Amino acid sequence: MSTENTTYRPESLTANRPLLWIAAFLSILMMAPVAWIVGLSIKSNQDLMLGTETVFQLPYTIANYINILHSSQAFGWFFNSLVVACGQTLGVLVLSSLAGYAFARLEFPWRRTLFVIVLFGLAVPEQAVIIARHQMFNWFGLHNSYIGLILPNLSSAFGVFLMTQFFRAIPKEIDEAALLDNASQFRIFWKIMLPLTLPAQATLGIFTFLYAWNDYWWPLISATRKEMFTLTIGIASSQTNFAQSEGLGFLSAQAVFASLPVLIVYLIFQRHIVTAVSGGAVK
Amino acid sequence: MSASIEITNVTKRYGALTVLSDISLAISAGEFIVFLGPSGCGKSTLLRMIAGLEDVTEGTISVDGVRVDTLPPGKRGVAMVFQSYALYPHMTVAQNMSFGLENIGVAKAEIEKRVRFAADTLEIAHLLDRKPQKLSGGQRQRVAIGRAIVKEPKAFLFDEPLSNLDAALRGRTRLELAQLHGRLGSTMVFVTHDQVEAMTLADRIVIMQDRRIEQIGTPMEVYRRPATRFVAAFVGSPAMNFIPIRDAVMNGDRLSIDTAGLGTVSVPLHLPPGFSPEGAELGIRAEDVSVAAAGAPGIALTAEVIERLGDRTLIYGHLEDGTKMTVEADGRNATRPGDRLTIVLDTSALHLFDKTGAAHHPEGD
Repeated sequence: MSTENTTYRPESLTANRPLLWIAAFLSILMMAPVAWIVGLSIKSNQDLMLGTETVFQLPYTIANYINILHSSQAFGWFFNSLVVACGQTLGVLVLSSLAGYAFARLEFPWRRTLFVIVLFGLAVPEQAVIIARHQMFNWFGLHNSYIGLILPNLSSAFGVFLMTQFFRAIPKEIDEAALLDNASQFRIFWKIMLPLTLPAQATLGIFTFLYAWNDYWWPLISATRKEMFTLTIGIASSQTNFAQSEGLGFLSAQAVFASLPVLIVYLIFQRHIVTAVSGGAVK
Repeated sequence: MSASIEITNVTKRYGALTVLSDISLAISAGEFIVFLGPSGCGKSTLLRMIAGLEDVTEGTISVDGVRVDTLPPGKRGVAMVFQSYALYPHMTVAQNMSFGLENIGVAKAEIEKRVRFAADTLEIAHLLDRKPQKLSGGQRQRVAIGRAIVKEPKAFLFDEPLSNLDAALRGRTRLELAQLHGRLGSTMVFVTHDQVEAMTLADRIVIMQDRRIEQIGTPMEVYRRPATRFVAAFVGSPAMNFIPIRDAVMNGDRLSIDTAGLGTVSVPLHLPPGFSPEGAELGIRAEDVSVAAAGAPGIALTAEVIERLGDRTLIYGHLEDGTKMTVEADGRNATRPGDRLTIVLDTSALHLFDKTGAAHHPEGD
């Protein structure tokens, strides 16, 4: 094959110009609310009471951000969110990896049946179990605690499924070579198999972190004391009234502040996220 | 270090399915044994049972006089090279080679010494810091062999290790394996379906088919004196010619065999006891059939396909009764498809196969 045929030609982009315009339009549509919130966050609350159109006029200020530092509980909530999201991510990774390895590689009674039961977990919506879960956590006195916030989402059916599939895709000869190398079952898992699943761990970790960080539903039920709020609940509780006619700039600043970790995670793991979303089609 | 391997009455079943039936085999210390057979004959399963990757349903396996079939793979003192090489993708070449030694607590200095020795032996010392994906197929293959060498095993087990290499590299690696065997003097068990590998590498070939051993012998034994029709057909390229027979009677000290395709041929063979011509066949290799000069007495053959290999020419054709026959001729032979030739058989090289497939060879061959 000649190199001319394999060289990437930019004409193919221009050929898809209508598609490009649609993509650009959709991007703007998605970015507009983000830009709007950022704009609001750098306007004083007084200006915004006159009307949100003042966002297009000078002056701008960082007073709202300084206010977060001084007066708001956002830092406490931020810390709570961080503990919950990191705890959940770590827990899901550990449990899903162990379960995935067991389902993919170990022989034990009822293995297939158990796997199917785990898969059923994918079909059960959180709303269906929320009352029972609330009741259980109430009995055990786990509401308003980190454990109470982290525990319910540790059993990730998706995580177990993903890791099982990934472990299954590793050639069996690799385990066999390690067996002949006199490695114990745990050493094979720890030194050979686990490092080979890093791409899957990254995917699962990112999704779990993002989900946990943005989770609203369970923290709303479980965290009723203000100091145990996560950021999502905290910010929601900061709304002064339905129309939000006052403190709009401050609220926007908190929202921007809350999005920062997600943005950072996204920027660092952008490639992994794109790969994960496209189902591994992009290399 | 090398050790003998004894396989005694070994059977392997998966549920109701029997994949190996009552296999017995003694491998001497330092011997290069090749398991040869078509896909699905059970040769890889037998190797994996020696390695400990498959359970033994019945029978025993001993290495160096010690029963090992109840031991885990890592405790058997054998090392295996896989068809896919099975290198640990996230480890460097050096780490791949030292992993097994770390697991049994070998001192760091000793590990380094052994890795260095293996790397020098296989000429991969410059690759020690690379990861497997940065290596070519041939280099990966060497690393896999190196990983086996550092363990100083009692026996090396190879599961079709050359089948992923291109033809040129396969030939070269085959030669190097033979040299390695000479240098290390280790017991080596090698599984392949490639008869060239088997013929060139083996001290003895174990030919397997349909769950059992058909023949064990040196490469020339299985080639010149195949024990069964299957071995005769499987070993050798092109495959042996088979001619159905109508009748066989003793005529003096020679056996007179009547065939449809060749007429009556006289073979220096005694009629086996209880022999029945029904379903029996004569076998002869293409190299034992030659093209006679035009007009000379012989058997008529119509050429169909000609394969020119340079040093020799293979003529695929049929006899007058339609029996297929392959003839090996000189490289300069100018036969074309459709030509009618006269062929001559070396009757001392004929083999007789009865209807059970058992072979009877002329004396002295």
